[in-house]
Amino acid sequence: MWLWFSKLGSPKWFYELSGKWLPWLIGPMALLLIVGIIWALLFVPPDYQQGNTIRIMYIHVPFASISLAFFPLMALAGTITLVWRMKLADIVAKTAAPLGAWFTALALASGSIWGSDIWGTWWIWDGRLTSMLLQFFLLIGVISLRSALEDAEAAAKACAVLSIVGCINVIVIKYSVDWWNTLHQPSSPFSLSNEAPNPPEVWIPLVIMIFAVYLFFAVSLILSMRNEILVRERRSEWVQQLVQAT
Amino acid sequence: MSIKRTTTLKAFQATLRRDLLIAYKRKNEVVNPFMFFLIVATLFPIGISPEPDRLSEIAAGVLWISTLLASLLAMDSLYRADYEDGSLEQLLLAPHSLYFMVLAKNLAHWLISGLPVVLVSPLIGYMLSLPAESFGTLFVTLLLGTPVLSLLGSIGVALTVGLGSRGLILAVITLPMSVPVLIAGTMAVQQTLNGASLAGYLAIMGAMLLASISLAPLASAAALRISVN
Repeated sequence: MWLWFSKLGSPKWFYELSGKWLPWLIGPMALLLIVGIIWALLFVPPDYQQGNTIRIMYIHVPFASISLAFFPLMALAGTITLVWRMKLADIVAKTAAPLGAWFTALALASGSIWGSDIWGTWWIWDGRLTSMLLQFFLLIGVISLRSALEDAEAAAKACAVLSIVGCINVIVIKYSVDWWNTLHQPSSPFSLSNEAPNPPEVWIPLVIMIFAVYLFFAVSLILSMRNEILVRERRSEWVQQLVQAT
Repeated sequence: MSIKRTTTLKAFQATLRRDLLIAYKRKNEVVNPFMFFLIVATLFPIGISPEPDRLSEIAAGVLWISTLLASLLAMDSLYRADYEDGSLEQLLLAPHSLYFMVLAKNLAHWLISGLPVVLVSPLIGYMLSLPAESFGTLFVTLLLGTPVLSLLGSIGVALTVGLGSRGLILAVITLPMSVPVLIAGTMAVQQTLNGASLAGYLAIMGAMLLASISLAPLASAAALRISVN
């Protein structure tokens, strides 16, 4: 078990293994994305209130739901960095922060486009929108702290502390902002029955899109982790052999 | 030669007294954030509108935001001088729990920079035509909220103390974290104006204060150990 654990922390081992995983992730991702997008854009019936605008949901909901995972992920990786000093955990934390900022920004942008049609405005100071915006600012804070600290090890630990504090804070912000002002519709339940507010032909493509975006996230994270591994290990023998081989 | 052992309580008092004494000798650092608070609060009527009706609507928010900015500006001096002259390192080496040392420094810092702002807030509130019945609420919420701002800011300062230019980065890290305090504080004032009960809001602010007293110094201490090494 401990051997497995210390192996998991080795960047080289991860680089080799993730190279084998990638095709198995990219294939299903592409398939689900193509099926999900075509289904959502062409075959889902227009909503009786929102018309064709409802199709934005198939982008917005997956992105918004995965954006919420970034701070817990970074806090977990940060805890592992602080406790076990696993190299790989810091690589996850470092690459997740910019990705998180992008996913959050895309969730905000897609929501804003959706809102411009449904609510008649691009932006309102609603609870969910505001807490997403603040999460975006907190992620920018983590990224800028990382880039400001020159010593890589100190930066890793400092960002780990900030991610843990930020994770607690995101939760407090979420509740306080919701309590402050909320217009955003609550999440709707999924049901197989046809009389339910969301019939299967509406939510099945949504589930497909959610899986597709989650896979997209996994692939982007692994790709940028591989990049980061190559940068960090650039002086090691195996990377130099890899570079010479190509 | 026998080694003198001090208790944590004595160390706490010594740190507190030392920081207060330093502040007393360097009055600039105490006065500047306070003046900054007054000036920022003065800019709002000039920038928005001098009409009492409009001002009274935004007065609570103006006071809270000015307090937040002043506390951010004052944060800088919390560990800076100690980091530069090496006494922060001595504090880390001391055989006492860093949690209490950080708490002492935060308390001293709040007494110097937070408390004056709280004390003068009713006066500024009056100048911003804040309705008289909410003065008490404003005072109490600021009294509960400003220590939270100091304790949260302390984490940001501890993380960035080793950096050359960190003014902006400190703002980016700290300000979003202060939002819950800002919300609870301004909503409590709003609630008084509507004539509703305050108990819930005060309980939430008290909870925030207790949570940040018990957790924030731990994070600050961890951050200081990272920054100083």
